[in-house]
Amino acid sequence: MNNRYSLRKEPLFDKPREFIKGIPIIVWLLFLVIIPFAFTIAMSFYSSKGLVIEKSFTLANYIKFFTEPIYPRILLKSLRLALSVAVIALGAAYPVAYMVSFKLKRGKNLLFMMCIIPLWVSYLVRIIAWRSILGNRGVLNTILMWIGIIKEPLTIFLYNRFAIAITLTYITIPFVFIPVYTSLEKIPKSILNAASDLGANEMRTFLNVVLPLSMPGLITGFIFAFVIALGDYIIPLQLGGTQGIMFGNLIWSQFGFSFNWPFGAALGLILLVISVTILGLTAKYGSTEGGFLSE
Amino acid sequence: MDSHEVAIELQNVTKVFGDVIAVKDFSVKIRKGEFFSLLGPSGCGKTTTLRMIAGLENPTEGRILLEGKDVTGVPAYRRNVNTVFQDYALFPHMNVKKNIYFPLKMKKISMAEAEPKIKSVLSLVNMGGFEYRLPQQLSGGQRQRIALARSLVNEPAALLLDEPLGALDFKLRVAMQKVLKDIQRNVGITFVYVTHDQTEAMTMSDRIAVMNNGVVHQIGSPEEIYNYPSSPFVASFIGDMNFLRGVLISREKRMGVVDLSGEKVFSEKCAEELRPGDEVLFCVRAEKVLLNRKRSGSKNVLKARVQRVVFRGNDYEITCLLKGQEIRAIVAAANWNSSLKEGADIVVEFKPEDIILYPISGEKEVIKYSVEAV
Repeated sequence: MNNRYSLRKEPLFDKPREFIKGIPIIVWLLFLVIIPFAFTIAMSFYSSKGLVIEKSFTLANYIKFFTEPIYPRILLKSLRLALSVAVIALGAAYPVAYMVSFKLKRGKNLLFMMCIIPLWVSYLVRIIAWRSILGNRGVLNTILMWIGIIKEPLTIFLYNRFAIAITLTYITIPFVFIPVYTSLEKIPKSILNAASDLGANEMRTFLNVVLPLSMPGLITGFIFAFVIALGDYIIPLQLGGTQGIMFGNLIWSQFGFSFNWPFGAALGLILLVISVTILGLTAKYGSTEGGFLSE
Repeated sequence: MDSHEVAIELQNVTKVFGDVIAVKDFSVKIRKGEFFSLLGPSGCGKTTTLRMIAGLENPTEGRILLEGKDVTGVPAYRRNVNTVFQDYALFPHMNVKKNIYFPLKMKKISMAEAEPKIKSVLSLVNMGGFEYRLPQQLSGGQRQRIALARSLVNEPAALLLDEPLGALDFKLRVAMQKVLKDIQRNVGITFVYVTHDQTEAMTMSDRIAVMNNGVVHQIGSPEEIYNYPSSPFVASFIGDMNFLRGVLISREKRMGVVDLSGEKVFSEKCAEELRPGDEVLFCVRAEKVLLNRKRSGSKNVLKARVQRVVFRGNDYEITCLLKGQEIRAIVAAANWNSSLKEGADIVVEFKPEDIILYPISGEKEVIKYSVEAV
């Protein structure tokens, strides 16, 4: 009797409650992801005449992208830049993460915080800071002139691809550092002891044990940096000068002064497909720690 | 001991972490082919000692010699000893074969050359056919054996084992004890074995060093340690010992006469520093306490009353009240008779050679049975 009563009662009360818990995330996904995404897809198949968007199906936007060489060329340029940014950021962040994780006996948390503190500072402020470092009367030129290496301030630092790359690298370093550090911290110290015990010096321990075991964090960090650098348009705009037209700027300008939303939507989707493809290809090897690549 | 027979020698080794003395003035010579155990409760310094032999820690003072050569300060990867870690520390990204190949690879031995070695060491630990499994696909006991194989494949001068069976369940642990002992006999390698399990140390070792709070209390064979514990700590840590209080009446060399609650008891193991009139710690093993229904006439016979009888399968634990002091006796199930029931008046008998007398000050060293059990 009792049993049947409780059996009947359960579905009446428990299930709707479970459903209620799911509502916020469903609403969030619906309004902030699914609906805008659907709009973008639809928009990419429309066309624009002057200031009017014509809502009839056409592949013209995609045809335009693939037939006019300027667009793939800018995409390629952006991919190259993103790749070098990701490689440099990894090269800068990995040794630091290694030192903090394995070499420090005290102050680990402090150093970890110092490595991610730039994330707390406004994105724009950091960009402007780099402008004042690289600029004509910037910190870099002042130092070089003070040392006596140059007599006149150099203009080669700002308003070119170098400026974009260095600033993007700086911006992405914490995003590489966090997953790499996490994956290094996860390696049990006894495994390092075992490697040493079995005859491996530090270099061989690193190559044979630490590097393979930190590969998930390394890949995750690499993708973070790559995707961030690929889509950014503010840094190229602020520091890139005439060389600064990246794929992100291209998209941005379609929604701005070009007023060609359908073409912008198509370019955006192309970028999205590339990013998602890279994520999909590497997700298997990446760690789930970043929360970004979880199964 | 000839120097060429010594595999490992510690000379006055001390290790200090901050203001904690982990190991204090440890000296020992471990023979080639010996099964040597470091036994003690957790935090006694046994693992630190092992890590210093491995080269994973450096002693604060003293020297460590491997096969006669001073290796103090030599890094672990240049020492010819290998360790089996408590959590096995197998490389999770390598299969069994690659794990075992690792130490050979570090010696720049090609896979082709290593193959027969890997095969023979796998059959030694009875794990043939598991070459291509990953560590996470193995059970605890199997991982244990792979860790053992990996440490043995290089034929080290000594194998260091840090509580290798700690994570296994009881039956598997007993089985692995046999496996380890057999392997040690077959390969003839020196084993230095860290454990907190006295039974494990007793059944496997040639010699045991019993440690507490960084201090080595006694080094000796299992029989020596069991029959002639050098301190109340060793007496309490190993086996099931009764601790009573008495007063020394007289002594001659190692013979002593004790007043145990008004009765004279003779002991053949009287600590040197005791003087007549001193209060003493009176120790006798539970299985050496003999219970009889009536006086048989010889000396060391005392009246007592049965308080509790606990059946434990193989034997009975019988707690008696002996003139105000409790004493436990273990009676084998085969020797038990129904007259030993609660409330019965009986006599307790000790052999003089089974009674050890320590100064009463040693009482604080005694590890309480109930504490040790948890």
